[in-house]
Amino acid sequence: MKSKKLRTLTALAVVLIITIGFFTTSGIGTLSAPGISDISILCPLGALTTMLASKLLVPRAVISLVIMVVLIIVFARAFCGWVCPVPLVQKLRTAFARNPKAKKAQDAETDSAAKAAPLTAEEKAALSTACSSDCDTSACSSCAKKRGQALDSRHFVLGGALLSTAIFGFPVFCLICPIGLTFGLIALVIALFTEGDVTWSLILVPVILAVELFVFRKWCHQLCPLSALMSLIAKLNRTFKPTIDDAKCLETSKGTTCGACGRACTEGIDPRHPQLSEADWSECTKCRDCVDACPTKAISMPLLAKKAAEGKTKAADFQ
Amino acid sequence: MTQETKPEEAGTNPSRQAESASPKPASAQGGISRRTLCLGVGGAAVMLGLGGLKFVGTAPITRPPGGQDDDHLASACIRCQKCVEICPRHCITPAHGETGLLNLRTPTMDFHEDYCDWCREENGGEPLCVKVCPTQALKLPAGATEENTIIGKAVIDEDTCLAFRLTGCRFCYDACIEARGEDKKAIELDENNRPHVTADLCNGCGACESVCVSLQNGSISSGARERAIVIRPLETVEG
Repeated sequence: MKSKKLRTLTALAVVLIITIGFFTTSGIGTLSAPGISDISILCPLGALTTMLASKLLVPRAVISLVIMVVLIIVFARAFCGWVCPVPLVQKLRTAFARNPKAKKAQDAETDSAAKAAPLTAEEKAALSTACSSDCDTSACSSCAKKRGQALDSRHFVLGGALLSTAIFGFPVFCLICPIGLTFGLIALVIALFTEGDVTWSLILVPVILAVELFVFRKWCHQLCPLSALMSLIAKLNRTFKPTIDDAKCLETSKGTTCGACGRACTEGIDPRHPQLSEADWSECTKCRDCVDACPTKAISMPLLAKKAAEGKTKAADFQ
Repeated sequence: MTQETKPEEAGTNPSRQAESASPKPASAQGGISRRTLCLGVGGAAVMLGLGGLKFVGTAPITRPPGGQDDDHLASACIRCQKCVEICPRHCITPAHGETGLLNLRTPTMDFHEDYCDWCREENGGEPLCVKVCPTQALKLPAGATEENTIIGKAVIDEDTCLAFRLTGCRFCYDACIEARGEDKKAIELDENNRPHVTADLCNGCGACESVCVSLQNGSISSGARERAIVIRPLETVEG
């Protein structure tokens, strides 16, 4: 709960700062190019597509692309978990949900379903041997097809966006980027109230946003080309990975079943049983939900995981 | 793929049935699931389709200094709104979809509050919008000056202009002199004190539009939706 609130607050703070920026002339910019005055760091996809479209090497875009790659290698997809306003916008959908009670009941149901019967000895044995750290991923059928390992629909969108940009010569995705449109909508509403600026864009922009984020509820997982690009780079990420202290973990210290960390992960990563993960480690948004979910506080996210010698398993070692 | 999976689903072998009912059909079949493929191909197709918007007509609009090459601006602008924000005189605004979807949220000039003086006071004559543009979508060609960079041309609507009703209004004339100097002024008054734009001398700074009072003072009753003197993009004026 703690991290969840904190993440909502940081994302809200980002929106707030940028909104205040609209009223000043400090040039804070939006998330497409945040910074101060003429120093700014470009959205990696924006930097790529602007150079692809204008067929120019723009020094500032190249520099910020390099910085972005380094940031993504260090923090992986933390942008998605902590900064991006899209999850906030998607929260509005639940706020407008017709029957909030039904939704809560549904959540409770999935929760109880997850607390299934304890594993049998057979299953435990299977778990411990299925995909240990030295296992060859090509031999492990379930490991090979995790989201983030093989190409998925997001990568098609990313490829389509890059191809379209190269063919038609303008940054195509920027036109409908939900992050850009969120701030665009804020600017439109400000203009409506401060200048009486009435325009069809006030309807068009929310409609595009609603189609993207409310119709395709799994936008971030299935369609967002930014998340695709970041997870590709995040394959190099080795820092801030959830690390389990085996001495504290219920499963390793007491032999009970728990799996709370895996259930908590919205990306579908299971830090305890990476062989059961639906997603690769490169999808980790560093949201800390697994850290919070652990009943014995066995999970931490150190800058660099210590060597396994101290009785800690680097969960990140399982690929 | 469909031919391969169908017999499997129809099979009576219980273990196979269990496999197809597993929550991860994609991994069970060893490839991309049909759903993922549809979403991905659909998404990529939408991206390519959006690219085609380039061939749907867009109306010419005024651009900030350095954005006069519209093709370059369209290709490089990532709609980050940095120029809109930095303009100390609030002269830049994100364009609306009415002028063409491709123009949506790209920068256009808005002179309702003030005019563009190339940041003479604020930044010594180097336009801040050009300075902050992170993608060089706004980029002044070599030798570009305030004089030879034409943002647009002032056009007077004689139906709504108060001076053409012989009210003696000369706000735009005075503003032009103040902004451009007596010798370079682009507005002349005729014998009835009615303003006329000398298009060759106008660089589209917007000083005239920023002071026009026709909307506040009566023209709105005659259906006017904009001021009586407005900076129009060069393409519109010449074409």
